[in-house]
Amino acid sequence: MRRLTWSHLALPALVLIMALTLVPGAPLAQPKKLVYWTHWEQNPDFNKWYAERSREFAKKSGYEVEVVTIPYQGYEAKYLAALIGKSGAPDFFNGIAHQWCGQYDFCDPMPADLARLWDESIPRYMVPIGKWKGVRYGTPIEHGNFQQMYLNADLFKKAGLNPDRPPKTLDEWLSAMKKLTTGDGTSGVVGFALRHKGHPVGITDKFLPFAHAFGARMLSPDLEKATGYANSPEMAAALQFVVDLVQKDKVASLALGGPEDAFGQKRAAVIFRESWFFGWLKKNAPDVSFKVAALPCGKACPGAGALFPWTNLVGKNSPNKQAAWEFIRFISNAKDDLAQHESAGILPVWTANLESAYVKARPDYASTQEMLKQPVPPTYFHPKSNELATAFGEAVVNALYGKGQPKPLLDEAAAKMDKILKD
Amino acid sequence: MRRRTHLDRQRRAGLLFVLPALAYFGFVFLVPLVESVIASFYRTVPGGASRFVGLRLYEKVLTDSTFWQSVRNTLTLLAWSAPATIVLALIVALGLHRLTSVRWRSVWGAMYFLPFSVSLVAAALIWQWIYDPVYGLLNYLLGFAGIPPQKWLQSLDQVLPALAVTNIWVRLGFDTMVFLAGLQSIPAEYYEAAEIDGASRWQCLRRLTLPLLNPQILMLSILELIFNFKIFDQVYATTQGGPAGASQTVIMLLYDTAFKYFRLGDASVMAVFVFATLLAVTLVQWRVLRRPVEY
Repeated sequence: MRRLTWSHLALPALVLIMALTLVPGAPLAQPKKLVYWTHWEQNPDFNKWYAERSREFAKKSGYEVEVVTIPYQGYEAKYLAALIGKSGAPDFFNGIAHQWCGQYDFCDPMPADLARLWDESIPRYMVPIGKWKGVRYGTPIEHGNFQQMYLNADLFKKAGLNPDRPPKTLDEWLSAMKKLTTGDGTSGVVGFALRHKGHPVGITDKFLPFAHAFGARMLSPDLEKATGYANSPEMAAALQFVVDLVQKDKVASLALGGPEDAFGQKRAAVIFRESWFFGWLKKNAPDVSFKVAALPCGKACPGAGALFPWTNLVGKNSPNKQAAWEFIRFISNAKDDLAQHESAGILPVWTANLESAYVKARPDYASTQEMLKQPVPPTYFHPKSNELATAFGEAVVNALYGKGQPKPLLDEAAAKMDKILKD
Repeated sequence: MRRRTHLDRQRRAGLLFVLPALAYFGFVFLVPLVESVIASFYRTVPGGASRFVGLRLYEKVLTDSTFWQSVRNTLTLLAWSAPATIVLALIVALGLHRLTSVRWRSVWGAMYFLPFSVSLVAAALIWQWIYDPVYGLLNYLLGFAGIPPQKWLQSLDQVLPALAVTNIWVRLGFDTMVFLAGLQSIPAEYYEAAEIDGASRWQCLRRLTLPLLNPQILMLSILELIFNFKIFDQVYATTQGGPAGASQTVIMLLYDTAFKYFRLGDASVMAVFVFATLLAVTLVQWRVLRRPVEY
């Protein structure tokens, strides 16, 4: 008998491989990948949901979603390098429409029927989110993308305050902060967890509710002018109020690090944060007993507004953009909207879900309704919003650290912002 | 036709040997440098049209107070870090050189070198924890001496010295190794001769060791200058330029300008500035510090 050699095995093996590859549904067939990039590193369950849901999508399309989480710190550089370079760019990504579609031309416009579906399915105030110059590019991903007041119920009770009757006006709020403060940040509790660290863009974002409560706005309504707005008497008064929280009233401390950690560690009694913070607290600080209330009002109410309108966008140069839109279409329904947001403790986006059992059971149900009834605050959806918010945020943080008086710092910032707008 | 000589063949072989290095240098350093210089004359929008604007971006950047503040911060950090690192490294190297046991010298050397092998971001995060005003190790230890908690990275006055300490910690091992190698290459006979002539230890150090370590001192001065001038990772990971811009360095501003505000032309001007400054200062250092010594 002749000995069996490798060459005798090669032909049958080749035939087997070809058969397995060509037969539909053969076990060796690999699903194709749709790559999704997100910088929402604080919401891993929310991100993971795309990959899980895509397994169902793959059955009919052959595409599965691969989720890549880019660290928030410096995500713009990574996005920019990939989207300029085209190769290695995501098929769809979490971004801001006026930046990635407005300042650049990196986004694919949404198919008209899908855009119509979204326009009709989300609350009215959210309709501009994901649009640039009237064209819809992205699907909004977070309904409660505006700050609300999270308060530590135990600390409120300890200070003799009723957590079920949170302060409604800035005066009441300041008085409550004074009662809650028992230390200077290095020890004891401070009333308010103030954002003073990190990039000035974030500092601007967290300061804007105060500015809006004082009736101020950062830019003119047509977004073409800063002087007269960013340095208005109302804005100066708002900044003075926040500076006083640190320097005069001492109810906020620059010794505290990140405000979220400070609240989670019970070192601060109150924080202003968006709807995702509910899920974050449940996961990272489950022993904190908290309640959520509408932000306090001053001359005006801060209302439901955000500097960062996050949306899912499809890359214009993606070879899989058709499949990416099909996946977005696949998850564009109330059921998936609810499932994904519930998995991460975030408020859903679709109007149909705003009265769901999950939303009604959330501690921010009433406060969300209350804030949505308030007039919509100014939005700053400008392609240069990052640079503008940086110039403004520098004035805020410089004032907080005593590097100058609010008004001159705001004058300087407004002049700089006008230069940016004209440039 | 001239026949190829042995020398020609040798030259060709030599050229082929250096070609990969030349190609690497050209593509990785030279081409981006030239592109950067060109980009500094254009208002460039990625994915959009570029417009030639001459020297307008230079005028804009070089009259911007934020830019000069970042230059000041960088120079202050450099002044805190570089001399201290070099002096400390020399002291440590002299100490290690005196150890007679090669084994212990290696162990101590490795210990000093270890931080250099740590990723800069990881090192920054370790120091961020050490400096934390509330939970930090440093304030905890200072508490035993009755010193009240300091804000360190969250203080306008303390942030740069605190970052300088991180730099020194990271760089000390590398500089020490360079000095140690230099010390070991100095022939022992020189010291024996100096001893016979009645030279004290201090005189030996001043008249013998330091002049003979001149190439190492020069090299490390240049390296420390470059390292500190283009510092980014540690600052970005710990303070992001804060508080209130007190630690924003030139490269951090360059990064934000390019990738956060998408102004590639402005960022290119900053890159050209950094390159020109480093080149000029390095040449000055080279001329001033380079003293050939022979005994």
